[in-house]
Amino acid sequence: MCFRHGSSSCRLFSTVERPVTERRETNGEVSAVARRRLDLLRQISDAGGTLSPLAEPNGKYGYRYPVAGDNVEDDLGSLLERNYLEARFCDRVSLCPRCGSHHLNVREVCPSCRSAYLTSEGLFHHFRCGYVGIPSEFIRLGDRGYRCPKCNGTMRHLGTEYDRLGRAFVCRGCGVISENPPVEAVCLSCRTRVAADKMVSTVVFGYVLSSRGAAAVRAGSFFNEAEELPTLEGAPIYKRPIILQFLEQEFKRRERLNSKFAVLLARFIQDGTDQGAAPSATEWLGRLRDCLRDVDLVGQLTAALYIVILPDAGPRDAESMRRGIAAKLGPQSPLDLSTPDIANQRDLAELLLLA
Amino acid sequence: MSGFVHYWLSTLDPLSNAGFSLAFPKLMITPLPHWWLLAVLPFVFMVFPSVAVWIVYVMKPSSIRPPLPAVPDQALPFVSVVIAGRNESETIGECIRAALLCGYPNLEVVFVDDNSEDNTVAVARRAALTATGSGRDGNRVRIFPSPRRNGKPSSLNIGIRMARGEFIIIIDADTILAYGSVQHWLVPFRDPKVGAVAANIRVNNSAKCLLTRFQEIEYALKTSNKVFQARFNLLYIISGMGGMFRAEILRRLGGYDTGLGDDRDLTTMIRKQRWKLALSVDAVVWTTCPETVNHLAKQRARWRRNVVKICISKHRDLYVPGRYGLANFMVAIEVLARIIIPLAVAAALFWTIFESGPLGAPEIISSIYWITILYLFMKMMIARDISNSPVLKNFLLAFLFPFYMLFIVQASQIYAEITELFRIGSKHYYVPDHIWEEIPWW
Repeated sequence: MCFRHGSSSCRLFSTVERPVTERRETNGEVSAVARRRLDLLRQISDAGGTLSPLAEPNGKYGYRYPVAGDNVEDDLGSLLERNYLEARFCDRVSLCPRCGSHHLNVREVCPSCRSAYLTSEGLFHHFRCGYVGIPSEFIRLGDRGYRCPKCNGTMRHLGTEYDRLGRAFVCRGCGVISENPPVEAVCLSCRTRVAADKMVSTVVFGYVLSSRGAAAVRAGSFFNEAEELPTLEGAPIYKRPIILQFLEQEFKRRERLNSKFAVLLARFIQDGTDQGAAPSATEWLGRLRDCLRDVDLVGQLTAALYIVILPDAGPRDAESMRRGIAAKLGPQSPLDLSTPDIANQRDLAELLLLA
Repeated sequence: MSGFVHYWLSTLDPLSNAGFSLAFPKLMITPLPHWWLLAVLPFVFMVFPSVAVWIVYVMKPSSIRPPLPAVPDQALPFVSVVIAGRNESETIGECIRAALLCGYPNLEVVFVDDNSEDNTVAVARRAALTATGSGRDGNRVRIFPSPRRNGKPSSLNIGIRMARGEFIIIIDADTILAYGSVQHWLVPFRDPKVGAVAANIRVNNSAKCLLTRFQEIEYALKTSNKVFQARFNLLYIISGMGGMFRAEILRRLGGYDTGLGDDRDLTTMIRKQRWKLALSVDAVVWTTCPETVNHLAKQRARWRRNVVKICISKHRDLYVPGRYGLANFMVAIEVLARIIIPLAVAAALFWTIFESGPLGAPEIISSIYWITILYLFMKMMIARDISNSPVLKNFLLAFLFPFYMLFIVQASQIYAEITELFRIGSKHYYVPDHIWEEIPWW
């Protein structure tokens, strides 16, 4: 329902200004969410403007936010996205790719049998026969060293008769020796086994109140972001005050610098029939924008009237462009294009009155 | 002297009466043992095995180059490629990449760095990453940087201990596995008595210079000989450049013994365990040969010293008839013959020259030369037919090949035999001091 035109088929209003409408329709719910988030900001502000997560094994990612309570991650994310908070890195948490649990047992496993029963041992190397093995393979001779299982020779002196070849992981299951065994995790929640490179991870942030957040706390409300934007939501169309500023600027330039400009009016006309899957007003305006030059500016004067400022263009140029644009948009276009002669601000005021 | 040179040069013409056409019949009717020493004995040792192999190959090719059995990937045994190297940063990357990309799915690479002083480990790790791509595949390569230099045998022992495969391939760090070679390598293991299989070693850098071309011919000629030896269980070496072993054998033996000649020593130990050795002509590995005479002479001298040390000193019990079977006894005799025959031929040559006088010598020398060329061409053609090596343009080098063998290979080998027998400079720089002092064999 178009509140401004009283028509349910006003597709312009139903698309370009839909978010505003929706906000109005769900006003009560939005207010509850906004109140909750504002309370969250206040709590952070009262806590000194900083929200640091604390390690908590039963928390969602092994952390919880002490001031804010539970399940505030979505609210914090939303506030961060809208610049009311700034994030500070705290930790990176590995998660089970199946159930998302952070209760993972990460350890090296045998590359052959995947057993985690590994021990780190220093390999022995007997110089005399070249035998290489783990210490448990060599027979211990008390204080007299070891006996080699290959040549039966005694190994008394480390460094002259035998040596340790660094440390390696030995699988107690199958005996395989590996220098860098693969790392694997077992999820303690769902028992899923996952290789280290297949684990998913998430970053846990601390939060600091931003100047915008502090201002919101002082004001007791959030800023209306839609009003702060210079363009309409979902379309590259300047709002009325903005485009009028641009227009005024062009008048000044023409007076002072003797530059020229022209305007193109686009009136959105609806025939009242059901358009089905026809392009929306936003799409038509997008197509209009595509037909224009980079330097041209498009703005909304009223709900159904749009103005295009064509810098460095005369009346004949504007007419030529109008014909070209109309041809590109095609006969089914709901945009009625015209090139009014606006010589001064008085002409503009008359035009606005008529609109 | 000028007359001697002129006469000798004239005898080099095989069509002249003084040349081979006259010398060969003369040799046949001579009452002296020239015929046996200069024509028959070389034929028996050099050409007859190749001719026999070639006849079998022509009649039944699959007996020399068996076709691959149709085996699903899941049924292929797990194979570990063990590489040990020191200061091999120039070649190790290509070696690891080739092993990983050789077309065999169930394979891992274990590289043991013997305390390199260059960036070998970094190159190996980079090669592993670039060849495998993902982290999971990264488990296919395991690298063990040894904290102390221990020599090649000990490094290989570390690799063998780390290897998980049912079969273990041992290659040098400058060796490249050819695509599809591992599948062919496994074929002889269908015989449960086969304990190790040698690869067909080809020269990677044969086009580099004249010396490497000669080596390509030499390796090709050896291949047909090895086929013969393998058929009669007389193969006496699985080269360290490329050999596949049953892992259980290597583990039971405790790996290599320290010191020189790791491959020949291990092969002898496996033979003593009564395992059969085989050769796969289609299991091709490419090796990089020495490109300078000095490097080549050192390499051959080292190999020959190993023969003397291992076959005459460490494993001399092979010469006791019946202790390790007839085949092992024959192998021992053959190895001994390979040491003695060059010395005997040299002695016979001097005897003949001494007996025939200065004018008789050119005829004998030219006879030896043309007989050698004749045998050489026969062997090269057989080798070419069986293993596609040497390349055709190297055939012309056959005329120079005897000089390569005589003045570089045989000279360095005879020098090595004499020095080793008299224990002159027996300590080799390849073996670290702390290992050498503990070796009980020599």
